[in-house]
Amino acid sequence: MAISQETYQVLESIVGPEYISANPVICEGYRAGPGGYECGSGYERVMTKVPGCVIMPRTTEEVQKIVKVCNRYKIPYVPYSTGFYGARSHPHVSDELLIDLKRMNDFELDEKHLYAVVEPGIIYSQLQEEAMRRGMYIVVGGGGSQVSAIANMIGDGWSPLSYRIGLPHRRILGTELVLPDGELVKLGSLALQGDPFWGEGLGPDLRGLLRGFTGLRGCLGIVTKMAIKLLPFQPERLEPTGISPHTTLQLPTNRVKWINFSMPSKDAMKEAMYEMSKAEIGAGVTKVPIFWRVIAKAKSKEEFWKLWSKENEETLSSFHVLRVLLIGFASEEQLEYEERVLTDIITELGGEARRTRPSDESWFKNADAAGMWLMCGGYVSVDYVIETIEHAIPHGENYAQLKKSFTPPLMPDYGDPGWFQSFELSHQGYSEFLVYWDPDENTDRVDHFYLETSKENIRKRFYTSLLGPHQPLYLTGPAYGPNYHKWLLAVKGEFDPNFVCHPPVPLAHDAFVEQAEWMKPLKDWESPKIRQKK
Amino acid sequence: MLKGKTSLDVTQVENFIFDMTKCIKCKGCTWVDHIYMPGVKFSTRCPSATRYLFDSYGAYGKMRIGLALVEGRLDYSHELLKILYACTLCGACDVGCKRNLDLEIELTLEALRIKAVKDGKGPMPQHKKIAQDILTEHNRFGAPHQNRTKWLPEGIKPSPKADVLYFVGCSASYTNPEIAQATVKILDASGTPFMLMPDEWCCGNLLYSVGMVDEARELARRNVDMVKQAGATTLLTSCAECYRMWKVDYPKMLGISTADLGFRVVHLVEYVDELMKKGTLKLTNRIDLRLTYHDSCSLSRLSEPWVPWKGERGLWGMVNPPLDRRRGTNGVYQQPRDILKAIPGVELVEMPRMRENAFCCGAGRGTMEAFPDFALWAAEQRLAEVKEVGAEAVVSACPWCKDNFAKVVSKNGEKLKVFDISELVLASVEV
Ligand SMILES: Cc1cc2nc3c(=O)[nH]c(=O)nc-3n(C[C@H](O)[C@@H](O)[C@@H](O)COP(=O)(O)OP(=O)(O)OC[C@H]3O[C@@H](n4cnc5c(N)ncnc54)[C@H](O)[C@@H]3O)c2cc1C
Ligand code: SF4
Ligand code: SF4
Repeated sequence: MAISQETYQVLESIVGPEYISANPVICEGYRAGPGGYECGSGYERVMTKVPGCVIMPRTTEEVQKIVKVCNRYKIPYVPYSTGFYGARSHPHVSDELLIDLKRMNDFELDEKHLYAVVEPGIIYSQLQEEAMRRGMYIVVGGGGSQVSAIANMIGDGWSPLSYRIGLPHRRILGTELVLPDGELVKLGSLALQGDPFWGEGLGPDLRGLLRGFTGLRGCLGIVTKMAIKLLPFQPERLEPTGISPHTTLQLPTNRVKWINFSMPSKDAMKEAMYEMSKAEIGAGVTKVPIFWRVIAKAKSKEEFWKLWSKENEETLSSFHVLRVLLIGFASEEQLEYEERVLTDIITELGGEARRTRPSDESWFKNADAAGMWLMCGGYVSVDYVIETIEHAIPHGENYAQLKKSFTPPLMPDYGDPGWFQSFELSHQGYSEFLVYWDPDENTDRVDHFYLETSKENIRKRFYTSLLGPHQPLYLTGPAYGPNYHKWLLAVKGEFDPNFVCHPPVPLAHDAFVEQAEWMKPLKDWESPKIRQKK
Repeated sequence: MLKGKTSLDVTQVENFIFDMTKCIKCKGCTWVDHIYMPGVKFSTRCPSATRYLFDSYGAYGKMRIGLALVEGRLDYSHELLKILYACTLCGACDVGCKRNLDLEIELTLEALRIKAVKDGKGPMPQHKKIAQDILTEHNRFGAPHQNRTKWLPEGIKPSPKADVLYFVGCSASYTNPEIAQATVKILDASGTPFMLMPDEWCCGNLLYSVGMVDEARELARRNVDMVKQAGATTLLTSCAECYRMWKVDYPKMLGISTADLGFRVVHLVEYVDELMKKGTLKLTNRIDLRLTYHDSCSLSRLSEPWVPWKGERGLWGMVNPPLDRRRGTNGVYQQPRDILKAIPGVELVEMPRMRENAFCCGAGRGTMEAFPDFALWAAEQRLAEVKEVGAEAVVSACPWCKDNFAKVVSKNGEKLKVFDISELVLASVEV
């Protein structure tokens, strides 16, 4: 047994014998890889460990007690909601306690005030169904309907529907957070009257700290409850149809409509986003990366490659498809009006509507991020920027260039600049750079590429969201700060004096570079030695 | 084997190392297809993961543990065997996974059990006893073999020779004779001559399910030969588990395609549906009942025909020649629903988890024998769903499901009625 008999017994007394195990077989079932997000990469192989023990609390009180025990006995622990976020969601040191939160799945919905109170075990598709049934909706992060709504809200939380709504910061209302030392903090209005209806005031508001732009990946405590703002939808049902794998939501086209437009250029796509925003129309928008279309069309991996091999740099550079979602939130007339305005905008920009199926399989209730692994078996998004549209576009193009020199081992993608869209009625621009590789080949250069994206960001002054927890903090911190790293480590030290909450995050990538021989030639920045328990 | 020669042969677990290494923990195998997600209730379709909660019991855990076993990083233990066997091999994970990916999860789970038996560690002790009964008494209950045809109702005479051979199976022969009786009466009412096997033996379902593939293959050979000797062109079953054995697992074990069996395998619901559509069978008697239909795994998502495949795996994990994967799309989903809807007075209501998303009753593939509490728990979960939709009765097309539901209903003293679909069809045609 990895942790001492005494500690095990104390933990067992908190949750009961059925909900804790240090059995090596049970623990092996929680291994991060070899498949999954960022798995099959050097980071996963070097930095993740099978947990020494797994525990499944049911209540916030139990979480608090567990965390206090961890502090008393100096046991490292990691919060784990569904574990879909790959290597980073798993233990990074030996004998770590994995706190599996799936039993915490209470759910309440306040129809009158438009919010739901969820625990970490609630996933997006559950929340979306409960909301839509009552005439409301939520933005399901593109990473998947299968992810914990809380884990996504504190880390990511965007999809083409963020065009209208923006990032989730303000949609996080009253929240319960167990700090790394076991103390409980209630955020927002929850702090005063046990009523979670409001996020900022009257109680403390640690949302900025909790998520920043893209979260701290489990190293600053455990969110055990969160009230999430829901948005008013329209009244018609989106009807599920089809048999797996061809399942889809049939859209009530008098109220909800996706329209794909062929645009003459990238500039025209960009202009369309701006114009739509000025006119305040549209419920969602995105540029469609061509390989998403191919994944959606292909019946198998083999068919994907057959279709993909027909593409080339030229077909890609002339593929400008803009996908727009219209919702008649208030009435059918709203949708008709918005469609007319949109048509004017697109026509003026020289674009034209393509035939678009009256269904949704990717964004409302089912975000099939799992399809990202269909073609190669290895996948990670090496970078995403959340800045302006003007910033996001060159970011994608730039990375496409850099990537060329890493292909192979990266999948040949003919210069595709990744995913691009606007958030918050074009006040923000988003660019995500996705890479795929065959994990059964040598992956050293995949690890190199990941790190090179950081250096490229620094050289070209792209504002990346993947700071601290995803890249070497001593590389990115001084460049962005100049004392971002010091500040982050000070915060971490203050909240987690024993450094037991998911160590060595936020220094995990630093530790990786230090430990992986093949990363050493890339290390041209200063950092203190990361002391890490093996 | 990650690259190079590979096949779908379940007796070589190495064929599935690729699949085990590529599981991404998306848990599409555990959750109901998100498009059909009914909300916070009834949201999972994997009984094993739902009951035992640790990730290790979901397909993602099983893939990781299986890989560690094959790579020699883990050894057999009580917990490991429980993880392999406290699983209904219901195929929900397989269709869930194949919605997005090309991984062979069900075959991997089968291959791991076969490996456990080969390694002398599996199956579970309870299975060994039943396997012995199957070998000596040719049925899974250890009942006297000579009683196998006692169910045959008076007045119904099987033909010595007919196109249709009704394979009754152990359950309908011994514990659920009402299903066999209803089946032959329906055939009789439709004027379909049918024969029985001169000496029917168990289909070997439990043997194959628990990994005793050599013994199961022997039975497969024997049974297929018997049908060929009898000269039947259609083999009809009224049991979903027998159906899958004949249609999928026999060809799989014999290294042939379903199409090469030399006869057609049909379940009663397919046959009745055809008869209804031809007009040979009319469902006329009224049955005033609000009911729901439970998709038995082996008739639905696990029932697509088998085609053997071997080839090579190369870059990006692509296989050559291309492989047409069984994704559960063409299971027998619609026919039983059409039949029930055709019965006057019947109001068919669907449960939130239906068709490929159905939650297994918990009985099959060796579960009831080795983990009876788990099996009953699964049935209880399903019955909660039946009640949720306000049905007065639950109908299935498999004696295993009926039996397990009936046990829970009687244990809990519930009012709910449990039927096999053959009983309702008969009630609607009988004069
Ligand atoms: C293929 C893919 C595509 C993606 N695309 C998008 C996208 O388009 N849009 C988007 O918004 N996101 C995207 N993501 C990110 C993703 O959705 C994550 O936000 C989500 O996976 C987190 O939920 P989870 O249940 O997987 O969390 P987990 O894997 O359980 O945990 C994620 C991290 O949060 C920590 N954590 C978990 N639960 C808690 C808790 N209760 N309190 C504190 N810390 C906790 C963990 O320690 C871990 O570090 C993508 C991810 C993948 C793998
Ligand atoms: S659906 Fe497939 S890939 Fe996803 S977790 Fe389940 S077995 Fe793994
Ligand atoms: S076969 Fe059924 S019980 Fe077993 S892991 Fe798959 S879904 Fe779960």
